[in-house]
Order: sequence, then C-alpha cells, then structure tokens
Amino acid sequence: MSTTAQSRFQEILSKGEFAVTAECGPPRGATPEIVRKKGELLKGYVDAVNVTDNQTAIVRMSSIAACYHLLQLGLEPVMQMVTRDRNRIALQSDIMGAYSLGIKNILCLSGDHQSFGSQPDALNVFDIDSMNLIRAVQTMRDQGKDMSGFELKGPPRMFIGAAANPFADPFEYRVIRLAKKIDAGADFIQTQCIYNMDRFKEWMKMARDEGLTEKVHILGGVTPLKSAGMAKFMTNKVAGMDVPEPLIKRMAGVPKEKAVEEGINICLETIAELRGIEGVHGVHIMAIEWEEIVGQIVESAGLTPRPQSLKIYD
Amino acid sequence: MIVAEQKPLSEIKEIVAPYKKILILGCGTCVKTCFAGGEDEVAVLASALRLACKKDGKEIEIEELTIERQCEDEFIRESAPAVSRNQGVLSLACGAGVQALARRFAKTPVLPGVNTTFIGVLERQGIFTEECSGCGTCRLDIFGGICPVTRCAKKLLNGPCGGSQNGKCEINPETDCAWQLIIDRLKALGQTDNLRRYIPPKNWRTSLSGGPRKLVREDHII
Amino acid sequence: MLTLAMDKKFIPKITVFHCINAFSETSWSSVGGNDVEIKFIKLPCSSMVKDVFLLRAFEAGADAVAVLVCPEGQCRYVEGNIRAKKRVAWVQNLMDDIGIDGRRLSLSNIAAGDTAAAIQIIDGALENLAELGPNPAS
Repeated sequence: MSTTAQSRFQEILSKGEFAVTAECGPPRGATPEIVRKKGELLKGYVDAVNVTDNQTAIVRMSSIAACYHLLQLGLEPVMQMVTRDRNRIALQSDIMGAYSLGIKNILCLSGDHQSFGSQPDALNVFDIDSMNLIRAVQTMRDQGKDMSGFELKGPPRMFIGAAANPFADPFEYRVIRLAKKIDAGADFIQTQCIYNMDRFKEWMKMARDEGLTEKVHILGGVTPLKSAGMAKFMTNKVAGMDVPEPLIKRMAGVPKEKAVEEGINICLETIAELRGIEGVHGVHIMAIEWEEIVGQIVESAGLTPRPQSLKIYD
Repeated sequence: MIVAEQKPLSEIKEIVAPYKKILILGCGTCVKTCFAGGEDEVAVLASALRLACKKDGKEIEIEELTIERQCEDEFIRESAPAVSRNQGVLSLACGAGVQALARRFAKTPVLPGVNTTFIGVLERQGIFTEECSGCGTCRLDIFGGICPVTRCAKKLLNGPCGGSQNGKCEINPETDCAWQLIIDRLKALGQTDNLRRYIPPKNWRTSLSGGPRKLVREDHII
Repeated sequence: MLTLAMDKKFIPKITVFHCINAFSETSWSSVGGNDVEIKFIKLPCSSMVKDVFLLRAFEAGADAVAVLVCPEGQCRYVEGNIRAKKRVAWVQNLMDDIGIDGRRLSLSNIAAGDTAAAIQIIDGALENLAELGPNPAS
C-alpha cells in the first residue's frame, strides 16, 4: 500500500476505519447545481464520493468538473477515469489537471463499450487499458515521471483505485487479475455490487490466501434493489451481475409497496456481513440516481458519524 | 482474406444513376471468396440492375468483366479496353482495388460496389470472422494465437474486462470474449503464466494511427 | 383485379427449372393449351440452379419461374435441394429489391414422376400471375 499518496480517503483507510463511499453521476448538461444537490445529500454520510466518467457511454458533464464542484462543497471526490474516450496524452493531462484542482483519488477503468451509450456512432479510443492507466498514475506519483519518462513539474500524488468483479471472469483467473492490478499500482479496490455473498466470500478467501488483502484495501460494492423486476433485469441484462434466485424470490415475495424496504433490508444485511469479512475495509454504495437513500442506509447500518480528517492535504 | 459485402441494390442504383453505359468489374481473389464481387456476383448484379432499370423505364447498358485481382496494375491493364468503352466503372473489388483502378483510369469515374470491412477467415461455409486489424506489431505469441487488439472490443492487452460473462463479450451475446478464448488457449498450451504478465501500453505508431503505411522492398526494386 | 384475358391477350410465360430426378418433360402433356408458354430447363441436380440463371430467365421475358426439386431427405446428392431452397429464397429477396416481386419465383418439392403435382404447381404459378400481372421488366 502506497506511502506517497496523500488524501483524506487514504488516511481513513490506513487508520483501519471501515470506510464508506458512494457514487455520484454527473448530469446530462452543464448545470452545476444538480451536482451540488447530490453532494448535499451525501455530505456527512460518506468518506469519499466516486464521480462516474460518462458511465454506460452516455454523454454527461465530465468527471473532473463534477469532482471539482463536490470539492467546493467539502466532499472528498474519487475521479473515475475510463480509457474508452481518451488516449494516453489526454488521460495524463487530465490526471495532472485534476490533481492541480485538488482531486486526489482516482479510479481507473476501461469503461463500458460505446455501443451501449447515447452516441454509439462514436469512434472509441482504448489507446491503453485500465491496467496501463493504473501503472501510469503510479509512475507519475512515485517517480514523478509521465509515460514518456519526462520529469513532471509537480507529480500528481493520487490515491489509486481499480474495480474488481468477483462475479465475472473465469473462477481461477479472478485472483490473478486482482494480483495484477495490485502489482500495477492499485491501492484500493471497489467491487461490483454483491448479491451472491457466498461467491464473494469465496473470492475474498482466495484473495487472503494469496496475501493480497495485506497489499490493498478492498471495499465491497452494494446496490439496494427497488423491486423484483430490477433484480431480474440486473441478473439477465447487465453484464457481470449475479443475483441469486433466492434473492429474487425474496423480493418477489413481498407486496409491491414493501419492495423498496425489503431491498434496503437486504442491503443492510449485506453491509453487516461485509463488516465481518477479514480483508474488507469498507463498503461502496452504488445507488444509481437514488443518492437520497444513501444517508438512510449509512445511518441504519450504524456507520454514522463518519470520521473527520484532521489533516489538510494540498 | 479481405472481406467485403456488396452494397444494397438501392444504393448501387443511386451510384450508377448518372451513367447509361457502365462496366461492372469483378475481382477474382478476396471478394470472390466472400461472395461479394467475383465473376458470379458480377453476373447476378448485372442482371439485377438490368431488370431494375427496365422496370423503371431507364436505359442502361452493362458490360461484365472480371480480372484476377484489382490490386495489381498488371491485371488492371487487362481491363483497359473494356473501361474505355464505358462511361463509368462499378468496381466490386475492395477499397484498395477501387483506388488502384482509379489511379490507372484517372479520367473514368470509378465507383465502389462493395463495402470493404475486415481482414478475416472463413470460420465455416458462409461465415467470415474478423481476425486481424493490421496493427503492425504482432504479439500473437503471447496471447496463445488469439488477437486481443482485433477480437477484444476494447483492445485490452491485460484483459478481460468486467463485462465478460459465460465466455461472451458484453457488446453482443454472440461474440466470444477474446480474453476467455485466450485464457482457455493458454491453459491448453500450459502457458497460463502469460496471464500474470503485465503488458505495457501498445505502440500504435506501426498501425494506421501512425499514418497510411508503405512497405518498400529494395531487394525487389531494380 | 387483373385477369389473364386483357386488351392484348396476356399469355403468361413460365420457366420451369427442374431436377431430372424429380421431373421428366417426356411425362408432360400440354396444359392450358395456347394460353400459357412453358419452357423447361433440366438440371442434373436442383443445386445447379444458380442465382444468375433465375434472373436471366426473367430477363428473357418469363413472368414466373418455378423450381422443382426432390423432396427433402431424398436428394440424390444429399443436400442439393437444400442449397436450391436457400438460393431461391435469396433471389426472391433480391427480386423484391429490384421491384419485380419475389413471389414470381417459387420452389416446390415434387416426388419423382408425380405429374399431377407438377400440374398443380404450374396452376399455382398461373393463379399467382393473375394477381401479379406480367413481368414489369420485360
């Protein structure tokens, strides 16, 4: 785990606190007020907020800009960066720009293919992949050099994150992949949302056996279900999702007015379990376009108040 | 081979509309094998165009000819008499052939009759799949003979991504995940150590990104 | 509704491609008299019916084209009739694109020597033509 990164989020994790992060999707427009409203809903309930980067390839306000708006509100942003839309020149440029604005956490991703998005005719980039991006940020941070070896006038000391999906990939390869991301420079991992707790526990065991939990902070992802329909949709239509049949049945077994409550209960049970798994250092709550529920979940899970950072990082 | 697909008849009608006398020139190599522009396809297209024009009450005279390849001047020259007899040439060759024709017959409109798509192979009768994107720096040795640059929708060198499920790519349930194929192949070869290797960013200078490429073999130039 | 008898007497022209194993012209006796012109083209196997032959039949003035093939599973060359079926479907589509209506072209399975079936098939094609009219590209 890195010692040169300096961010509030990194501090909370290195202290051994069970961290809470959430997600904020920027608006499909240039209105900063929308970002601020979402930020206000999350303030006080989270240690850091992931800001997505044209998620699902739908054109939205840039992650770097939305991160900045959240920063002004006193929140700790995690800038998500995909390699789908920008080449290495633009990516390195934006990393430096983001750090100069005070953004100190980054999540490196490949990104959903543009055919899913709002402008599928676009040409994609994928000059480098997420593994290369992780390594590039690590090199910029620890060696102060960009990808050409040029010595930077001020290295971006980013806290580096990557995604992991215990529910995709062939089984035996999952841990190799995690190890590879850690070697490349990942300091923290946020996983795809967990519904199949058995499978997640198995993955965590494999990670522990490889010694990986000593090297990286893992945050388990959760997404509260709103209905049985949503559960079915996720497992059938969303790549890399695993919603076990008993869970779908459970959601279908309650009257419609009670579905949301049941979904939140399942989410709280998941969080409680996560707190007991060795090697899991936090929870990442992905309540897509439902930011208002995050506060309720965090409170009901007994995770408030959130620790205050005493250090100033600049 | 280079794989191409003949343009829809409606589009071809529009393209040849300004001309009353055209030559449909086929190519006997790549486009013949993918049923887009060989001798048989030239005959069918000519017949279809004649029927369509007759039906619309339009005049058209169509000459049909197929040469071995349209990417070599030696063969292109053979079509010179036919080209000179016509107002325009509808070439059923790939984009390279169309341009080579246009270079030699600079005063005759040369029109494309197919959409050139990819470098590929015949998976089985009637099915062609894209395999190579001509990146210029082949590392199929690391990847068990399966190209992630071409066959992975995200060109990942350290794949797979989180969207790989049941061996299929997130963009299309009928598209194999190239990385699943690579993992399976490396397992069969006993080379799974390759999966632990960090593959650095690709040098795209040798690809089309670096500009249109040229190969010069001095040892063959006198 | 178009009838076969128009101002200028419309004598429909039908071209029949047939596999010699499914049908023999010698067993055929004229049907319809002077009201229809039938041309027979024999092939060693129906799989020999290339796309271009079908189109050229229409270019030569046919109003309808019928392809007679052996019943499925009984092709002497195993899949010849299946290939013919695929090709005919492809050309039907092309004919729609051309604008001369793919229904003018048909493929029928016929057991060897079943002349009655052959007559039915030709009658069917003629009925079709009553609706479709003459080939608009002849």
